[in-house]
Amino acid sequence: MASRRPVGVDGPLFKQALLGSLNWLSANHEEVNRLNVFPVPDGDTGTNMLLTLQSAVEDIKESSAAEVSKIAKLASHGSLMGARGNSGVILSQIFRGFARAVEGKSSLTPRELAVAFEEAANAAYRAVNKPTEGTILTVAREAGRSAAAAAGEDDATVPSVIAAAAAGARAAVLKTPSQLQILRDAGVVDAGGFGLQIILEGMLKTVEEAESFSVETAAARPKAAQVALDLPEGGWGYCTEFLIDGAGLDIDVIRNEIEALGNSVLVVGEPELVKVHVHTDDPTRVISLAGRYGKILKLNVGDMSTQHKRILDSESAAGRPPRANGVGLVAVVAGSGLVEIFRGLGVDAIVEGGQTMNPSTQDMLTAVDGVPYDEVVLLPNNGNVILAASQVPSLTKKKVHVIETHSVPQGVAAVVAFRPERSGADNVAAMKAEAARIQTIEVTHAVRDTRSNGLKVRKGDVIGLINDKLEFAGADYAEVVNKALGKLGPDAYELVTVYRGQGASDDEMANLESAIRSNFPGLEVEVQQGGQQHYPFILSVE
Amino acid sequence: MTAKRRFAVVTDSTADLPDEWRTRYGIEVVPLKVIFGNETFRDRVDISDDEFFRRLAAATRLPTTSAPSPGEFAEVYSRLARDHDGCISIHLGAQLSATAEAARIGAQSVEGFRVEVVDSQTVTMPIAFLCRVAAECETLEAAAAAVAERVPKSRVLALLDTLRYLEMGGRLNRAQAMIGTMLDLKPLLLVAGGEMPKAVSRVRTRSRAVSAMVEYFRGDLPVEHVAVMHAQAGAEAETMAAGLRKALPGQEVVIGQIGCVLGTHTGPKALGVVYIKK
Repeated sequence: MASRRPVGVDGPLFKQALLGSLNWLSANHEEVNRLNVFPVPDGDTGTNMLLTLQSAVEDIKESSAAEVSKIAKLASHGSLMGARGNSGVILSQIFRGFARAVEGKSSLTPRELAVAFEEAANAAYRAVNKPTEGTILTVAREAGRSAAAAAGEDDATVPSVIAAAAAGARAAVLKTPSQLQILRDAGVVDAGGFGLQIILEGMLKTVEEAESFSVETAAARPKAAQVALDLPEGGWGYCTEFLIDGAGLDIDVIRNEIEALGNSVLVVGEPELVKVHVHTDDPTRVISLAGRYGKILKLNVGDMSTQHKRILDSESAAGRPPRANGVGLVAVVAGSGLVEIFRGLGVDAIVEGGQTMNPSTQDMLTAVDGVPYDEVVLLPNNGNVILAASQVPSLTKKKVHVIETHSVPQGVAAVVAFRPERSGADNVAAMKAEAARIQTIEVTHAVRDTRSNGLKVRKGDVIGLINDKLEFAGADYAEVVNKALGKLGPDAYELVTVYRGQGASDDEMANLESAIRSNFPGLEVEVQQGGQQHYPFILSVE
Repeated sequence: MTAKRRFAVVTDSTADLPDEWRTRYGIEVVPLKVIFGNETFRDRVDISDDEFFRRLAAATRLPTTSAPSPGEFAEVYSRLARDHDGCISIHLGAQLSATAEAARIGAQSVEGFRVEVVDSQTVTMPIAFLCRVAAECETLEAAAAAVAERVPKSRVLALLDTLRYLEMGGRLNRAQAMIGTMLDLKPLLLVAGGEMPKAVSRVRTRSRAVSAMVEYFRGDLPVEHVAVMHAQAGAEAETMAAGLRKALPGQEVVIGQIGCVLGTHTGPKALGVVYIKK
C-alpha cells in the first residue's frame, strides 16, 4: 500500500496541502480577525493572511510540477507578491525559507520536511528587523522544533511530522500571552501565530485525507488559459496581466519588448515564471508576443475605463515638468481629503489603504513601477503597512527608499520636506528627520473592552493614542484630545493640524477646535478635511 | 556726484529704492501702477505703503498692477536727454513684469539718446543695489558692465504669510512648486536667475520658515549687499536685521518696506532677505 501512503512530500502533495491550508484558513480567518489585541479598528490579521495565502496558491493552481521544489518556489513568489500586513509579509518569508530549504528536491522525506519547517522559521526571523517573541515568529519556530523532534522518531511519517508541527504551533500560540504584555492585557492570543497554526492544521487535514486517496488523481489538471478578448472599442487602453510559464526566460528582454507596446509596464519573476502587467491599446499583440516565450497563464485583460483601480494615477503628473532630481513619490493613503493633500504636495501615485485596508506589496510595487522616475520614495504612513512596503525595494529595478512613516501626520511632514532640486539621498535624510519631529494623536472609539498600557477601556469609549500608543480614554473627543495635548506639553509646539475623519460631525469638529483654542492659546490650529475612516480625528502636533 | 556723472540712472518703483539714495545719487524712479476697481494709483506717488495695505486688507476684490507704458518711459528719457549723454535703466525682472520691455520700446522713440535697459531678473532692493553700483561708476560703459556682472548674483528669499496673492497674480504655479492648495504651508520662495518664484523649502510654521531662510542665506555667503525687506512686518524685520548684523560684522544691512505693486503679490506680513552675492 506504499503508493497510497504519502511517504514523501512531492509537488502534487505539497500543492494539495497548501490548498487544504487555504480552505481551512478561509473557514477560520474571521476567528483570527477577532483576536484584536488593540482596541483600535485593526482586526484584519486573518484577512491579510488569507489574502497572502490565496496569492501563494493562485500561483501554484496552474502548475502540475512533480517536484516539491517547484511548487514551493511558486508559492514563495506568489505569497511575496500578494503579501499584506505584517503577518502576511512574515508568512511570505516563511514560504521563502521553505522554498530555499527544498531547492532542487523533488520529494521530501519526513526529516527533510522538518528541516524545511525549521528553515522557514529561521528565514522569517532574519526578515524582521527586531524579532518579537510571542508572535507568529515564535509560533513558526516552535512548529519547526516540534516537527524536528517528531522526525527523529523511528516511525516518523509525513503526517506525523506535520501533526507535530501543528501541535507545536498550537502550544506556542497558547503561550503567547505570557510573552507579550499587550496580549495578556487584552486577554487574547497572538492573531498571526494563530493564523499560522490554522495553516498547519489545514495542511495536516489534507495530508491525513490523502492517506486514503491516490495522490495522482487528486492533483488538479491545469486548465487551458482561455480568455475571450471581448473588448469594447476605443477607450482608455487595457490593463493586461498574465504570467509566462517557460524556461530560461530573460526578464529584461521581455520587459524591453513589452515596453514598446504600452506603459505602466511591470515585468517581474524568475526564469521559469514571469509576471507581466502592462497598460496597452493592443492586448492581442502583447499576448502574441509573450506567447513566443512560453505558455500564457492567468491572462486577465481589463478595460481601464470601467476597472476598479486600487492605484489611483496622479491626474496632473503628465502636465508637470520633469522633476529636477528624478525622484518620484508614492504614498499609501486612505480618505478623499488626505488623498488630495498628498497629491497637492506633489505625490505622484497614491496607493489606497491604511489601517484596516493594508495594501499588498504588489499594490505598492505597481505604483512604484508606474511613476515615471527611476528613484522612488515610498511612504507607508501606517505601522501595519511598513513591513509590506519594505519588501518593495527588492522586487523592482528602481531605487526605492522606504521611509517608515507610522502615521498620516508623519507622512505629511515627510512629503512637505521633499525638495525637487535635492538628491534622493539628501531628501530621504531630511524627510526622515521631519517625520521624526512630528507627534501624532489619533482619536477613535474602542472596538472592544480591553486593558492596554495600564488603561481600562470599554467598548465604545473615546480613546486617544499618542504615536501609536494608547494613552487616554474618555467620554468625548475634546476631553481626550485635551489630555493628549497636555501630556505632550503644548509649550514645545506651535501648530496643531486636525484631520477630520468621516465619523466626526460639524458640532464635534467645532467643539474640538474651540476646546483646543481655549485650553492651549499658544497653539495655532488648522483644520483639514481628511475623510479618513475609523478615526474621527487625527492630529499632527509640531 | 550727479554733476560729475554724464549719464543718468533710471529704475522703477519696484526697486524699493530708499528716498535717501534717490536724492543722494539722483536716481529717476518710474512708478508702476496699482489699480483698485476704477481707481489707479501710481506706486509710492499717489498712495503710501501704509494706506495701500489698509486698502488691501479691506478690499473685496484684489487690486491689479500694471507696468508703466512705453510712452511714460519715453517722456522720462526725453527729459533726461536734455542734460545727460545717456542712461542706464534698471528694471523689475522680465519674468515677472512687462516693465523692462516697456522701457526698451520707450527708449527706441528717443533719438540720439543712448539707453542701456537692464532686465535685473529680480525684484525689490537688489534692483536698488544695482542702481547704487551704477551711480557710483564714472562712465555708462563701466556702469553697464558692473551691473551686468551682478545681475546673475542677485537673490530674493521671501516668506509669505499666504500664497493667495502671488497665485492670484499668476506669479506662482502651485503644481510646479509642489505646494498643494489644502495645507497651509509656509514655503520659502526664491527669485533668482530670471525664473519665476519657486519654493526652495516647505515647512508648516513661520518660525521654522524663518530658520530655513537664514540657513539658505548662510549657504550663499559671502554677499556684497544685503537687505531685509518686509510688508507690515517691521518688528520681525528688525529682529532679522539685528541677527544678520551680529553675524556679519561690518556689513551694511538695509531694512526696507516693500511697495504697493509688490505688496499686491506678496500680501501683508511678507518677510524677505534679499542680497547680491559676492
